[in-house]
Amino acid sequence: MGMIGQHLLNGLMQGTIYGLVAMGFTIFFGVMNVIKFSHGDVLTLGAFGGLVAVWAANALGLSVPLQFIVALCVAMALTAVVGAGISHFLIMPLRNAPPLNMLLMTMMVGTAIREAIRLFFPNGTNPQRFPELLPAGGFNIGPSFFRTDAIILIIAGAASIGAVYWIINHSKFGLAMRAVAEDTETARVMGINFGRIIPLTFALGSITAGFAGMIYALYYSEINYSMGLLLAVIGFTAAIVGGLGNIWGAIIGGYLFAGLQTFVVAAIPSMSDYKNVFAFVLIIVLITWRPTGLLAERGSERV
Amino acid sequence: MGTISKRGLAALAVASVLPLAFGSFSAAFAKDKVKIAFVGPLTGAISPHGIGGRNSAELAVKLMNAEPNTKYEYELVVLDDECKPNVGVQVVTKIASDRSIIAAIPHYCSATAIATVDIFNRFKMPMVVWAAVLPEITYAKKYPEVHRVSGILIGQNRIGAQFMKARGYKKFVSFADSTDYGKSMNKYFTQFTLENGNEILGSFSVPPDQQDLSAELTKIKELNPEVIYFGGLTPLGARLRTQMAKFGINAQLEGNSGIMGDAFVNAAGPELAEGALTFFDSPPLSKMPGGKMFADAYKAAGYSEPPEAYGPFAYVATRLVMETIEKVGPDRAKVTADLGDVKDRPSIVGPVTFDDHGQNITPLTTSYVVQDGKWVVWEESEYVSGKRKLKNLP
Amino acid sequence: MTPTSRTLVRVPVWPLFVAVAFAAVALTALVLIENQRWLGAALAITAAVCFCAARFGGVAAMEVAASENPWLLRGLIMVASLAVIFVLRDDNFGLLMLATVLIYATICLGLTVQMGYAGLTNFAAAAFAGTGGYTAAMLGQQGGLPDALVLVCGGLVAVFIGSLLILPVLRTRGHYGALTTMAFGVMFNVFLDANDFFGGPQGLKLPGINLFGWDFTNDIHIFGLVLSSYVNYVILTGILTALAMIFVGLLDRSWVGVWFDVVRLDETAASVFGLKIAYWKVLAFTLGNFLAGLMGAVYAKMTGFIAPANFTFGDSLVMVSIVILGGIGNRWGVLPAALIVVLLPEKLQFIQEYRLIFYAVLVIAILTMRPDGLVARRVRKLHTEASA
Repeated sequence: MGMIGQHLLNGLMQGTIYGLVAMGFTIFFGVMNVIKFSHGDVLTLGAFGGLVAVWAANALGLSVPLQFIVALCVAMALTAVVGAGISHFLIMPLRNAPPLNMLLMTMMVGTAIREAIRLFFPNGTNPQRFPELLPAGGFNIGPSFFRTDAIILIIAGAASIGAVYWIINHSKFGLAMRAVAEDTETARVMGINFGRIIPLTFALGSITAGFAGMIYALYYSEINYSMGLLLAVIGFTAAIVGGLGNIWGAIIGGYLFAGLQTFVVAAIPSMSDYKNVFAFVLIIVLITWRPTGLLAERGSERV
Repeated sequence: MGTISKRGLAALAVASVLPLAFGSFSAAFAKDKVKIAFVGPLTGAISPHGIGGRNSAELAVKLMNAEPNTKYEYELVVLDDECKPNVGVQVVTKIASDRSIIAAIPHYCSATAIATVDIFNRFKMPMVVWAAVLPEITYAKKYPEVHRVSGILIGQNRIGAQFMKARGYKKFVSFADSTDYGKSMNKYFTQFTLENGNEILGSFSVPPDQQDLSAELTKIKELNPEVIYFGGLTPLGARLRTQMAKFGINAQLEGNSGIMGDAFVNAAGPELAEGALTFFDSPPLSKMPGGKMFADAYKAAGYSEPPEAYGPFAYVATRLVMETIEKVGPDRAKVTADLGDVKDRPSIVGPVTFDDHGQNITPLTTSYVVQDGKWVVWEESEYVSGKRKLKNLP
Repeated sequence: MTPTSRTLVRVPVWPLFVAVAFAAVALTALVLIENQRWLGAALAITAAVCFCAARFGGVAAMEVAASENPWLLRGLIMVASLAVIFVLRDDNFGLLMLATVLIYATICLGLTVQMGYAGLTNFAAAAFAGTGGYTAAMLGQQGGLPDALVLVCGGLVAVFIGSLLILPVLRTRGHYGALTTMAFGVMFNVFLDANDFFGGPQGLKLPGINLFGWDFTNDIHIFGLVLSSYVNYVILTGILTALAMIFVGLLDRSWVGVWFDVVRLDETAASVFGLKIAYWKVLAFTLGNFLAGLMGAVYAKMTGFIAPANFTFGDSLVMVSIVILGGIGNRWGVLPAALIVVLLPEKLQFIQEYRLIFYAVLVIAILTMRPDGLVARRVRKLHTEASA
């Protein structure tokens, strides 16, 4: 068990990505009562946008830190626009339809994005190499190897979670957002521009996807068209286990899922085939124990 | 009832006479059309291979149709099996029960092929598998309709194990995907590696779409093997190579046919791919008679996707089917019978000889290594001359 | 329609004939046509006719006629089905697709009971169908059991596996319930992939159905005609679908249906009226899973091969999308939706790798333009029942 520190770091990194994705789910749900399953594929889109930006910046001869900044801005801007667009053209018109319709709709939007990347990005079905923009290397503590980039990314991820938390709870925009979430009609009467708050909320949630996509791309140095699908399933799971609509619940759910996966492989490597079976069985047990999530949301909802 | 059947008979008579008349009349102007079908995965994660194969089969048909002395004009019907057995069963039922389609060139995925061989047999449709590699396709039953130009994966693993022993490697870790392909690869890797007296420190199996391999790699780092054997396809293989580097694991990567192709080098990057080994059932195209012609024609046809490793096999299978139809005519039974006799037929992947199970038994398994971002035949690489060195050489 | 006008005016039955004949012709055309231009034209004509019928009261006339003459409707459907089978008699692929559509439709009828009536969420229908399929395969390897029993066992094992999930399903609602079943669906797949006992990722082969000495792999020779062996499967699945339709219809029209409505719409009210919510939910869950397992077993026997890749989370989604596209809670909507969802990807083979994106865009379009599905659920009219 000499590698325990290493496993901890791996789990922490994975959990940060899962938590960021789950946070997106929970923002959409908290404000609009919507499960936006295309979230994972918006993340993929952000990562591919970042990749194109790096290529362009590299061709222009920009330095590596500048390439990094350009890529990050492009990824976040792209996801913000796409997220707001999806909300405006596809989700808002359906907001009075049954929740299941919405779920199916966003899953199909995700499929369309995923297939579009595969078909229209040059050589899109094959995995793409993402250039390493962060300092390589790292240091050893005992048998464990701490990658510099992983530590930077974990800190960045934590910081972005904090930033989103601050926006929602302490900014004027966040106040309007929470008002809409609490009671749409009253918020409208109070003069909150409903038509603007909703796309902005989706843009905010989607920016976190763009950010997570960049973290993902930088950490794994490899992106592919279908990476968002599994992340969406895990992010959705984490958000639900944590309790929909609760940001801290989503974060806890993310780390929990990562911890479960890591633990099975670390403790019983011969059972590594079965790690997702274990993870999902435990999820079912957890959800049976706390039917509205670990940190329960305010009101219960139904399909 | 009586009048209807009489009228029906009359219509039938007219219908059957018309094409005869037109057929003989038009034969002087145009050739008869003959349909053959290509089946492969055109959507999903494995689609580059399916699309590369489809392009190559299409190319074979185009080139054949351009030859002036052929008896028939060929039309390729393309179907997507999505790499799923149930979809494979559907599309194969479709082509097999369509009598106007004479023969098929099916399947990249082994589980799909295993599911459909029964249908080919039931509808007596001759076929030549172009890429699936599990032994069960040809050897589980003895169907005269079933043939395969691609080699079975036993051979590449036997040669791989001998190759690694000859280099002096002793400690291995196996890392395979959890599909039938990966499991079968792992099985024969384990068998031949142990036969050669080497040690396997651990075996890992992950779903092909798993992104984060850190838990497995941390464990592998602890085991500290000289060689990591990979049994799976390019996406997971590239991920493994990239993340190995991130964890500072400096083991030699031993691959197999699943990562053969430019996609692996592109995804892992030339620096990381450098030195990766693979054992593949065909010498490079440039070495084979007609191989350069294929590569040039493929380029000239303007396909935006590369043929991938098994494109030439799809080309050979398609060509083989069309040559047989030229010889015996568009008749399923005759094509089946004639395919059974194929022996030492020259092709761009080496001579093709089918055994009594329809399996091509003369694959020229060749060892490759990545050198400067290209797959190079081992014997011609700078690794043999000692200019470059594999990792962890004892 | 008030009770008085109904007794005075005799309802014309011709719309029923027209509707059934049109459905049969449209179905046959969709199965038979391979040419993409003709297919597009056929789809456009079908859509236009449906739209006009709905716009100018044709659908309403048909519905009135149907509710007045239920046995005439059943007889007509019977005759039309035989006619379709006769036309398609030697088209193996068409028949296979037809049987597949019927299997999906029946599984989705089960889902309608679960999701449409009782308000449960089930994202693991494919896993339950897979349970049935694997049961059939494992029992087939042992041999000895007649196939009629094997198929029923498929359903029963699915019910048993489902009963392990009863507690979480009862305790969770909405998206939380979706997660429970989704987790089970994904887990089912990973487990089968990892496990060698059930054939692993390579799957299992199994022989065709042999029902009471009749081997389904044989062609049928009747009145000097040769019918493809797949006609066997179309007839079997057709009968099962019809039985399920009738049963689900009876359920909906009986007091059980009303109780399901109450349980779905207002649990508090339901408990105030003394309904045992858990009892009705368990009943719906069990019924749906039985249908899924039964039809999964038939499907496995028909294709002769099953592998984990046949029963993924994606396939469960396809089934849910059939229920939603058809109009959740309306058992008739399941049929056209299953036809579209199962047949269309096959018919779109000519656009090869662009199929999936086209399909996604199409579903998005249907969802935006018809949010209630192709055939919307009707509001229950209790007073007409009281007056009858």
